[in-house]
Amino acid sequence: MAGHNDSSAAEKKSSELTSDIPTFNAENLQSNMKIIYYSRTFLSIIGGVIAGILGFTGWTGFIFYFLVMAITSVGLVAKAGFSIDSYFNSWNQVILDGFFSGLMSFVLFWTFAYDMVHIF
Amino acid sequence: MGMGFVVGVFGAVILAHAAYSTIQYRALLKIVEEEFSRPPINVVVELLLGLVFCMWAALTVPGKFLSILPHSEQNRIVSLPANLDFMIFNHRGKVFPLEMDLKLKH
Repeated sequence: MAGHNDSSAAEKKSSELTSDIPTFNAENLQSNMKIIYYSRTFLSIIGGVIAGILGFTGWTGFIFYFLVMAITSVGLVAKAGFSIDSYFNSWNQVILDGFFSGLMSFVLFWTFAYDMVHIF
Repeated sequence: MGMGFVVGVFGAVILAHAAYSTIQYRALLKIVEEEFSRPPINVVVELLLGLVFCMWAALTVPGKFLSILPHSEQNRIVSLPANLDFMIFNHRGKVFPLEMDLKLKH
């Protein structure tokens, strides 16, 4: 009985050590990035149509595109519940990733809508 | 997912209606021979409404965010595969130490 020791001080949980190795579920991260990409692409197209209908020409349209992308970033952060640690690796992945990928679609639908409404 | 889809389609319909209104407004301006500066206010309101609807649809339709933490409720690192004949045990999970309560024994 001399060496018997069952006090809680001697208990050690080895599961604490898993936090030393930074791990995450890569498949879910990829799925989350795909969701961001779909959202941004769709909103680029919608923003292009709106810019065309409003009759923006020149730099005003691009400013409108950045405005729509900024609102999208805010919306995505809100969708993640403002605690992106459990869904993404860094803030840049949510806010900046895909910022410019929708630019081409935006310009395409912008010129398309502008032609339909104002010229044709 | 169905509800978000309906909202998105509704937003697109609102945008199409706004486009049609603007086309008619321009035809009217051609008759009156004035310059086009911006669409009328009700069209701008319609466009904003369509943008809000489409934004809501864009954020809800693609799906929910899934947690990437290894210990959250959704993710289980250990799960039996559907086909029991091809279970693999020699994978990188061996890097993790065993999750056991280690107690000092006498």
